[in-house]
Amino acid sequence: MIKKFIHQFASPKTFISKVDTYYNFIFYSALLIYVLSIIWGILFTPEDFVQGNSFRIIYLHVPASFLSQSLYLAMGICSITFLIWRVKLAAYLIVAIAPIGAMATFIALISGSIWGIPTWGTWWQWDARITSTLILFIMYLGLISLHSSFSNYEKADKLLSWLVIVGAINIPIIKKSVDWWSTLHQSASITLTDKPTIDPVMLYPLIGTVIGFFGLIICLVLLSSKNQILIREKNKSWVKDYV
Amino acid sequence: MFNFAFNSFNEAIYMNGHGVFVWSVLIIVILTLYIFFISYIFKIKKIKKKLNESN
Repeated sequence: MIKKFIHQFASPKTFISKVDTYYNFIFYSALLIYVLSIIWGILFTPEDFVQGNSFRIIYLHVPASFLSQSLYLAMGICSITFLIWRVKLAAYLIVAIAPIGAMATFIALISGSIWGIPTWGTWWQWDARITSTLILFIMYLGLISLHSSFSNYEKADKLLSWLVIVGAINIPIIKKSVDWWSTLHQSASITLTDKPTIDPVMLYPLIGTVIGFFGLIICLVLLSSKNQILIREKNKSWVKDYV
Repeated sequence: MFNFAFNSFNEAIYMNGHGVFVWSVLIIVILTLYIFFISYIFKIKKIKKKLNESN
């Protein structure tokens, strides 16, 4: 039943038609939420008692950091879906998500480094959180270059899926690094189980930036997937009709 | 909750010396997102054009 459901909704043709239908709505809603939340966070929240105005980087760093890990998890789910149910779209999505994940990790690393200068007095420290995030960035780049080095897509997809699953071990390490080791990076201010340690005045715009950035990343993934589908299915009759 | 956090526009730019960090991160984020969106839109246009020509 699950297999039938997945195959029904995961045909590349259906996917592209859904992307064309919903893309503009998602893009403009996400852009509006992101821009308003950034303005709210950067210009309308009070200065932090400890970090001063540099804390405002949180509105750019946290969404990127959150998405860098979430996108890898999404790749992991796609890998399992591809390996178990042989869904082609899942394999296309893995390849489509990887550059976007690398981009989000790049933003997280750069923004974190710039934030570190006024806050820690250094732009880089080989502590557990920063190093494991750098490993995530290298993993994304490795997966992208590995897939592009293959001429046989089928072999590349299988290998990539297995590597993504193996590499997923890094995600809980990133998440828990601030608890398991003594790190320069602060521990999480927002968790699923505990009350946020961040004041609501600062928290609400942060939630807005996370939602907005998430929406923009979804749009990038949709564009990247569409690009991937058109490349991989270029010889199919439906693609010829579509273009 | 929606009070402007600074006394003037210049203060908002300078942010007690932290403005250079905050605004530079904002520019990097905007530029990165812009480059990715534009590059994918152009890639899709290019492949559609190529497929149209081969049809």
